[in-house]
Amino acid sequence: MVEGGGRGDSGDKARDEFFSEAQELVDGLGRDLLALDEGLKKKQPDAELINDVFRGVHTLKGLSGLFGATRMAGLSHELEDVLDDLRLGRIELTPSVLDLLFQAVSLYARILSAESGEGEDPGPEVEQLLLALGQISQRRTGSGAGVVARYDLDPALMGVLTEYEEHRLRTNVQQGLGLYRIRVRFSLATIDSALDELKAKARPHGEIITYLPTGAGSDVDTIELEILMASRASVDLLRTAISGPNIVIDEVRQRSGASAPASLSPSVAPPPPPVGAASVALTPAPSATHETGSPQRDRGEEAHAPPSVLAPAQSFAATGVAAAPRPVAAPVAQEMSLRSVSQTVRVDIRKLDRLMTIVGELAIVKTAIANLTDRARAGVTGGRDLAIELGRLNRTFERHLAQMQSGILEVRMVPLGQAFDKLARVVRQISRELAKGVNLVVTGAETEIDKLIVEELSDPLMHMIRNAIDHGIEQRDERLRVGKPPVGTIALNAFQKGNQVVIEVEDDGRGMDHASLVAAAVRKGMLTADEARELSPREVLALVFMPGFTTKEVATDLSGRGVGLDVVKTNIAKLGGVVDIASDVGIGTKMTITLPITLAIINVLLVEIEDRLFAVPLASVEEAIALDERHVRIVEAREVLTVRGTSLPICRLGRLFGLPPGRRERPRAFVVIAQVGNRRLGFAVDELVGQQDIVIKALGKSLKSVRGFAGATELGDQRVALVLDVAALIEEVLAPGETRLLASALEADGELRRIGRA
Amino acid sequence: MAALARVRGEKRAVRRAGEAGRRVEYLAFVLAGETYAVQIAHIVEILRPPPITEVPRAPRTVLGVISVRGRLVTVIDLRRRFRLPETPIDRKTRVLLSETGASEQVGLLVEEVQQVWRLASEEIEPANVLGGDQPAHIAGIGRPSDSEGTILILLDLRPILEQP
Repeated sequence: MVEGGGRGDSGDKARDEFFSEAQELVDGLGRDLLALDEGLKKKQPDAELINDVFRGVHTLKGLSGLFGATRMAGLSHELEDVLDDLRLGRIELTPSVLDLLFQAVSLYARILSAESGEGEDPGPEVEQLLLALGQISQRRTGSGAGVVARYDLDPALMGVLTEYEEHRLRTNVQQGLGLYRIRVRFSLATIDSALDELKAKARPHGEIITYLPTGAGSDVDTIELEILMASRASVDLLRTAISGPNIVIDEVRQRSGASAPASLSPSVAPPPPPVGAASVALTPAPSATHETGSPQRDRGEEAHAPPSVLAPAQSFAATGVAAAPRPVAAPVAQEMSLRSVSQTVRVDIRKLDRLMTIVGELAIVKTAIANLTDRARAGVTGGRDLAIELGRLNRTFERHLAQMQSGILEVRMVPLGQAFDKLARVVRQISRELAKGVNLVVTGAETEIDKLIVEELSDPLMHMIRNAIDHGIEQRDERLRVGKPPVGTIALNAFQKGNQVVIEVEDDGRGMDHASLVAAAVRKGMLTADEARELSPREVLALVFMPGFTTKEVATDLSGRGVGLDVVKTNIAKLGGVVDIASDVGIGTKMTITLPITLAIINVLLVEIEDRLFAVPLASVEEAIALDERHVRIVEAREVLTVRGTSLPICRLGRLFGLPPGRRERPRAFVVIAQVGNRRLGFAVDELVGQQDIVIKALGKSLKSVRGFAGATELGDQRVALVLDVAALIEEVLAPGETRLLASALEADGELRRIGRA
Repeated sequence: MAALARVRGEKRAVRRAGEAGRRVEYLAFVLAGETYAVQIAHIVEILRPPPITEVPRAPRTVLGVISVRGRLVTVIDLRRRFRLPETPIDRKTRVLLSETGASEQVGLLVEEVQQVWRLASEEIEPANVLGGDQPAHIAGIGRPSDSEGTILILLDLRPILEQP
């Protein structure tokens, strides 16, 4: 928005504000880092300071994203990852890590002056720093879990601690501090101030790790909290320091057999609980704690949805990683998911204002209808006049409803960039783990699609990219040997095509060798050698979408962990989309996802087949023509219609569904030409009834096994029409080979599960 | 008149209070001439059959889908499940919207809804009086003591709804 040509006064003003705010943040970061350095020298780094730095960097990232300061956003992004690891104790804060953080602060300052046109762009230095930061994140450690186990803590409590709280607990115990449990009863009216007061009293003596409501014995006006605190002080000292009405302090004892920390005097080890013996185990209220505990943890996640001001062809460099050591035990999250925790859509208030206006218009229509009703009742208006008036109102109503509908759909639309941004991180991570240089080139991040679809897309896209890096992109030396650039490229392209959005994941790797795909499938027992010989090239490529398919003898960390491309295909199909695959050996592989733009309200073509109504989503309908039986030929046991000189396979839906013939005689028939991805098929139907906007509803669980229908919809007169799942039908009709294989594979899968259960 | 009705109502209420906890309410309906009954707790609503849309390729017991206040509901014909002769839908035909808690709501097409029976446990015979190996959906035989000769085939809806 700032780069736009017509930058007015307001743009300049906003930019000025950006510089001042960014500068303030950078200054604050420098101060915090200095304080952190002091703490590190005394071997007691303050955890709260790391949090402050993290928050500062996070704000900077959001700010720079907003103003298109991409270099700054990139640096913040990487820093944020490192700081997150630091505050969660995944990596240790060492002087050398701190050096890098300081370096980052000075680079921020230089980027800022470069952005304002005063200094030189410190590009190369930033790249270097990014590389160094990337290497730190690989030195993650996980340790110390054992020390906490020595304490007599309720496992339910451990279950609700956030990762951060757990890390603080571990750190304190490792440093030999004692653990104390404080029960306090607060009055609800004054809890905020009273809790702050208590925290202030406790702070000089140690650290409060967490607090939870106990839910025990509270009357309506009070709430009892249980506070877990780590301290070097003795229990007596704490009791004096944090004394007050309704406060009970106990020591959390170590389990028998474990030695007590030296700092505790034996005399205080078994303190008799003074009030109510119930305070032996913490009684957490899990839901409440999650609510209080998660915001700080989630903040990192939310950060990855900045408004997409990405230049259309931004490239996320992850080059030069070939030099990095290959970590064997890299912590790849087993069930990693990129889906956001929140289901929120940010909406421009102006869009809501427009909706508000339409609601106003609808209210006017409502009043007019009420008036007309009164007049009709009184006999003032009647017959023809009434009809004319009603017709007019109906048209107005229809127009506003359509506006409302498109307005709401617009609100649901978000740029695909929301999903792509997260994928950039995945590429960086995987390429590091596999020590392969990979460049991700993104185009069309601004393409808009329904928020629900974006959420559901993240994970399938992640698997496809994983697959491309793991199986597609070759190692550096192999690439050099075949004359390719040493760094591989993965292109992520998105664009709108009619009512559909197309997303391509393309790599310049080794491509898929048909012979080895077939060999792998035969080895896995998915098909016999005879069957394999009959497969068309397209069917061979489709093998990769079969459950359990893998070309690797041994599964790696990344791909082949059970989550295969079959899951990708299923998930895309759930969204009403299809995946196509094209591959050239030695040149690369391209997977193409074709999706509808929205899921909510769809426009359908109602058709009649043997006296029954069916709805065909218009998004996949190209055109509808009269069926001229003279142009139908049988080719390879399939009916093919010649349309304007090209051949189109057709499918008679009545026959496919096994419908008994209808009562009415049909002089002619029609063909609805549907296209999904790059497959075309004509559906022969008896009658075209008309277009309608419908809300599609899923068929119940009891009809889960029925294929070919995306759901059903009510037509207004209580009648229900089934909505065809065009993608599935095309698949079923045009790819009998694939479907047959899939069906047998699923059966085998079910068989195995049954055996496993027995 | 009004006073009498009130007294009767009170008596009924007293009896109901005394029996509560011991008796279970069953809704009786007709399929192919036989009287069946299901626990009324599993019936959400009794509907006049709306237009039913057939679903091609669906299991044979599924008649089709209907829309109940905007929600899609699958309708099952119990006669097909029990292999009983079918008669066309007429003005007595009803759809019992039922739910067992374990599954989605399902509509059951019945030929006629009769009445509610409140059965004490001694009025219910176990299913095995019909012979050893009865299907899971037969819960027992109801013999209301105040109605000589009435036999109710008590159904357990759970196996039916879970596997239509």
